[in-house]
Amino acid sequence: MSVVGPSDVIQGHEPAGDGGMPTRARRRKALAGKSPTQIALARLAKDKIAIVCSVVLLLLVLLALFAPVITRAFDIYWDISDPAAPTPSQVLEYDGFPAIGPPFHGFTWDHPLGLAPTVGYDNLAYLLYGLRTSLLVALAATVLSTIVGVTLGLIAGFSRGVLDKIISFVTDLFLSFPYLLGMLALAPIVVSRFQGNLDDLARAQLFTLIGILVVFGWMGLARLIRGQVLSLREREFIQAAEVIGVPTHRILFKELLPNLVAPIVVSISLGLPAFVAAEAGLSFLGLGLTGTPSLGKMVSDATPYYSDYPQYLWLPVAAITLLTLSLNLLGDSVRDAFDPRTRR
Amino acid sequence: MLGYIVRRLVSAALVVVLTSMFLFLLFFKGPSDPARPLCDLNGKCTPEKLAILTEDLGLNDSVVHQYGIWAKGLVSDREIKFGATFTCEAPCLGISYRTRGEVRKELVEKLPATLSIAVGGATIYLVTGVLLGTIAARKRGTNMDRGLVAVSVFISAIPYYVVALLLWIFFSLQWKWFEDTSYHPLTEDPLAWAWALVLPWFAIGLTSSTAYARYSRGQMIEALGEDFVRTATAKGVSERAVVIRHALRAAIVPIITIFGLDFAFLLSGTVFTEQIFQIDGIGRWAIQSLRSPVDFPVVAATVLFAAIIVVVANLIVDILYSVIDPRVRLS
Repeated sequence: MSVVGPSDVIQGHEPAGDGGMPTRARRRKALAGKSPTQIALARLAKDKIAIVCSVVLLLLVLLALFAPVITRAFDIYWDISDPAAPTPSQVLEYDGFPAIGPPFHGFTWDHPLGLAPTVGYDNLAYLLYGLRTSLLVALAATVLSTIVGVTLGLIAGFSRGVLDKIISFVTDLFLSFPYLLGMLALAPIVVSRFQGNLDDLARAQLFTLIGILVVFGWMGLARLIRGQVLSLREREFIQAAEVIGVPTHRILFKELLPNLVAPIVVSISLGLPAFVAAEAGLSFLGLGLTGTPSLGKMVSDATPYYSDYPQYLWLPVAAITLLTLSLNLLGDSVRDAFDPRTRR
Repeated sequence: MLGYIVRRLVSAALVVVLTSMFLFLLFFKGPSDPARPLCDLNGKCTPEKLAILTEDLGLNDSVVHQYGIWAKGLVSDREIKFGATFTCEAPCLGISYRTRGEVRKELVEKLPATLSIAVGGATIYLVTGVLLGTIAARKRGTNMDRGLVAVSVFISAIPYYVVALLLWIFFSLQWKWFEDTSYHPLTEDPLAWAWALVLPWFAIGLTSSTAYARYSRGQMIEALGEDFVRTATAKGVSERAVVIRHALRAAIVPIITIFGLDFAFLLSGTVFTEQIFQIDGIGRWAIQSLRSPVDFPVVAATVLFAAIIVVVANLIVDILYSVIDPRVRLS
């Protein structure tokens, strides 16, 4: 992507001859080009799938954001240790299934999506807080891994030489190591360390999970950025900056970084759904979160009850599918919108 | 060529060694006492019992020393004291804290199940993916092509384990078509082996083949637009030969790269597959060994095994590269 793309010229070109000399102000306005980001956004706005996905996502984000308000309004709880929450014995039958609501009783507004068997938390509350966890983990992991990836990619591509060799080797090293294995090795250690204290365990698990996702999530972007920088640094504007003595950090962040917006945005938009899926998947395997509500954990909790209580399983499966599907499709649209080769 | 392979082997070995060192450091130098949960396992944990366990696990020695013992066990026989004394033949991966069986033997026992899933699944998705992609590229712009791309985008957007779980729910629980998905050895009953694996294969195939169909479609469209394809057609080569012998050969190289890079994904996929379809393979074994008390020798063995597989797969792909594509020169 160039600083001044060919599109700017085309956009700014106006047929002459609208009578008389155009004023200076008007002329400047007519020549105002669109930046590549503006072009991409205009493309996105015309993409129906992107619009639908954005609306769905906005809805899910609002639900997650206002989870405390919604749960308070319904007076429902995901945390049964909360003193205000009904104890499991109050809401469950002796066989562990809920005494009110599905699967054996009719719909009730007290628990719109029913209760979880055996543990007795409210499904809607758990789902909302699970959504919150999903989005929080994915957002944190995306932001951190983007920072790490961009920084290392910039350094490797700009420095060349030994530093580039080292960073490239480390990148390849991490690429050949599946993240699942890292979590496999780390999860039990965290659990055994914080076994006594459940609150600390939950927090430690959350940080470990984000840490693992970042540690195994930065390589793709680092490689991409390195490649881009390798070609960009041979361009005239960088050479000019070097000649007039612009300090290196300014070249990196003020000259190079603005030209890397497209790959970074695309990587973020495709990284989010990948991290959502990874978090839910690890928690599903019992390697991720146990003390914090997680959609993946809800799936693994609900699987044994499927034959008697299918709704219990459908809820988290539907939530994960909806979230990853809309994030992924939006990510694809963003990629297409930022790709100058796509023609529509 | 030889120099390249040697260099790659060295870096591959480095990855594996670093991985195992990292694991040891985490487990033995980690913030928790690894002997404690084991001590709680059978009855009350007395200080004497804890002391014996600590001694047996080698926790009184430095972590470097323990790593040395473990690494030495890979090449020579090793005596392990854990309650009773076990002799563990080389290559020794230790004694499972839980079953007290040799980890290597258990690994070899569970290997066929994992191998069947991975190799069968990979074969299915590679073949159907490339086939579908080629057909879509030939019929570019038709409804079939558009439908295929749409389905592919949709399925790729859903996590693999959700797809596998849905298949298991419907085909195994609801309709009871493939109720028993546990592993049957191939040598005993090939039919039962294949029948039980149909659903796992289908799950892997469905997710991955759609992705590969999309890659191959893109590559094939590019290849079919090349000059050599036009030349071949002009020479009067039959369409089938043009597509398969000329275009596909050019298009397949990047697909093989993706396949190699995807190997780690395939491996983590088998963990989900085994967990969902309840197949007794290495992935499920690894997950089970993580429940407290952590069965460290099993975790170390499975992680090491997976790391070796991924590294070797990447190496093979790089070498294959130069065989398929004469333009690639390894240096």
